Amino acid sequence: MDILFLKFLLEIFFLTIVFLHISKKNLDAVWAYTVQSLVIVVVLFDSFLQTHNISLLFITLLVLIVKVILAPVFFARLIRKNELIFSVSTYLNVPITLIVLAVFCVMAFSDIFSPLTGIISANQELLSLALSAMFLSLFLIINRKSALSQIVGILSLENSIVAFAIFAGLEQSFGLQIGILFDISVWLIIATVFMSMIYAHFGSLDVTSMKKLKD
Amino acid sequence: MYHLELILILISFSIATLLCLVCKNRRIIEVSSLIASGVALLGSIIISLQVARFGAYAPFSFLSVDALGAVVMLIIAFVGVAATVYSVEYLRQETAKNIIGFSGVSHLHSRVREYFILLNLFMMMLFLAITVSSPIFAWIFIEATTLSTVFLISFYNKPSAIEGAWKYLIINSIGILLAFFGTLLFFSSTGSLANNGLISWNLLAANAANIDPLIIKIAFIFIFIGYGTKVGFAPMHTWKPDAYSKAPAPIGALFSGALLPAAFAIILKFKIITDAAVGPSFSQNLFIIFGLLSIAIAAAIIFVARNYKRLLAYSSIENAGIMAIGFGFGGLGVFAAMLHMIYHSFIKSALFFSSGNFLLKYYSAKIASVKGAINVIPVTAILFLTGFFAITGAPPFGIFFTKIFILSTGIKEHLFIVAAVIVLMFIVFIGFLKHATAMIFGQSSPDITPEKENIWLLLPPIALIALALLLSFYIPPFLYALLGDIAVHY
Repeated sequence: MDILFLKFLLEIFFLTIVFLHISKKNLDAVWAYTVQSLVIVVVLFDSFLQTHNISLLFITLLVLIVKVILAPVFFARLIRKNELIFSVSTYLNVPITLIVLAVFCVMAFSDIFSPLTGIISANQELLSLALSAMFLSLFLIINRKSALSQIVGILSLENSIVAFAIFAGLEQSFGLQIGILFDISVWLIIATVFMSMIYAHFGSLDVTSMKKLKD
Repeated sequence: MYHLELILILISFSIATLLCLVCKNRRIIEVSSLIASGVALLGSIIISLQVARFGAYAPFSFLSVDALGAVVMLIIAFVGVAATVYSVEYLRQETAKNIIGFSGVSHLHSRVREYFILLNLFMMMLFLAITVSSPIFAWIFIEATTLSTVFLISFYNKPSAIEGAWKYLIINSIGILLAFFGTLLFFSSTGSLANNGLISWNLLAANAANIDPLIIKIAFIFIFIGYGTKVGFAPMHTWKPDAYSKAPAPIGALFSGALLPAAFAIILKFKIITDAAVGPSFSQNLFIIFGLLSIAIAAAIIFVARNYKRLLAYSSIENAGIMAIGFGFGGLGVFAAMLHMIYHSFIKSALFFSSGNFLLKYYSAKIASVKGAINVIPVTAILFLTGFFAITGAPPFGIFFTKIFILSTGIKEHLFIVAAVIVLMFIVFIGFLKHATAMIFGQSSPDITPEKENIWLLLPPIALIALALLLSFYIPPFLYALLGDIAVHY
């Protein structure tokens, strides 16, 4: 696949995280995560086309099933069941959030992280973008007050690391990828169950409403 | 001869998990879990003896145990068997006292089953994490320890327990993802997928010189923060007091006595690769910084603690800091830090078991609610007091000597750090003493009547404290050889 097209895909990936920061509706956030995961699927499929490694195709299919189909379905069902239309707010308001995002991007493209982004010099821009995505995902987990947004943030961080690994040539063997994906699938189920438990006990997914430990 | 000990350990935990899944008979669930932990203890001792005598134990390409792995295996096995024995009686008492919320006999059985399924899975994941030869598999199994224990923290199904479990899940998941990123960066040295994708610890160490020093430094920081979250180093420790205080007492013991050493061991495995690439001073400085910060945070909070399980959690953070300082100072400090790890695991687990006994008697984890324990449950009170003296480093317990060895190692090059650590340890001692004496002595409430203590709730902590005391005066030759090997390589 053309490097420009890969860059375009990664830019979409990056924009989904920016969107996750500013979206007000839970279902929109789930859609953004779905698009983001779809980008990973396309990039993995591109790797398969280049290498003709059949195990990579299998991994691509698994990622498609787990991240593009199952995870959004789990989240959408939870949202509909509990009528969680609107997302809980952020700690910082939108303008300050956008400024922080810009600072993280500058950091990721700066010389400080050039040893990381220069692992494959031809992919430096792509790796800088993937690193920005990692920082933004981390900030999403910190800045959002909703348990659902935190979960999506963690999954987005995982997607960003996967994107970085692909462009840095650090993909793992078939067995390991299966293991990692299995771990993430179990994590996803547990996180979804926990969100239901939080809603049942606290009547909201707002993590700031959890104050039972402050005694 | 085939070396099947490790496989036997894993099979025994798998069988115990399956039996817990399919059987409804409580006795079968308990006995199968006890047998599995017993097999694990026996297997760990045999493996450790072999490693001490013949060097690394590697029955298959995907499993290998070096001296560090052998010592940590022993710790996990001893704490594991004590926690399982304690769990059996503890859950029975909680059932009898209606502490485990349930809406019928069948629901109660399912809760007990759930507990033992997760306990056995947790133990199996711990053994796998420290014995697999691939860093990525180690990451998978450390992540699996989070997944297998999160429902144990929320076991009592109270809002505070859910909150503690959620914090644990989120903070540890972030930490473990950062560790994943760090691990992938270490792989940049190996180029294409070496050895059919199974990049082992040994392969990484052999390729350490090929890694860009800047990359390895950044990678090790990610590793340290990632697995350090699991260890509970400050400032990534925030999940620890919540999770420790909300989990059932035996799970708290396993967190502090088994999970902490396992995660610490993974950091140490990356440390030797980092040291080979950029020299030891970089990793040693990180250990010293995070170690000092952990002791300082624990000292600041331990004084104002209001919950005795949280108090124990902060004590774990302090002791993880002391171990980190030992590895940071290097030399004899490494030997002492490893011994400190052993003593801490045994004594802290005993303290958690004692805290479980307090909870069963007083129905509260608040320090203010526990008064005059020496008159109410005297053996537990004496055990807690002994554990307090042991964990804070009072002689003749081994922690007194390990602290002296660690500090004397660093006194020449890090005088101010040593001085700061001494002051902070003194604060911790005074803070802990204040709480321990308030709980043990004083006038108990008239509603709390003395009662005969159950032997099965006393035997595990007594055994662990006795073992720690024994090891304070006599270190078996095989253990000495293993610790010496670790001191040379780490």
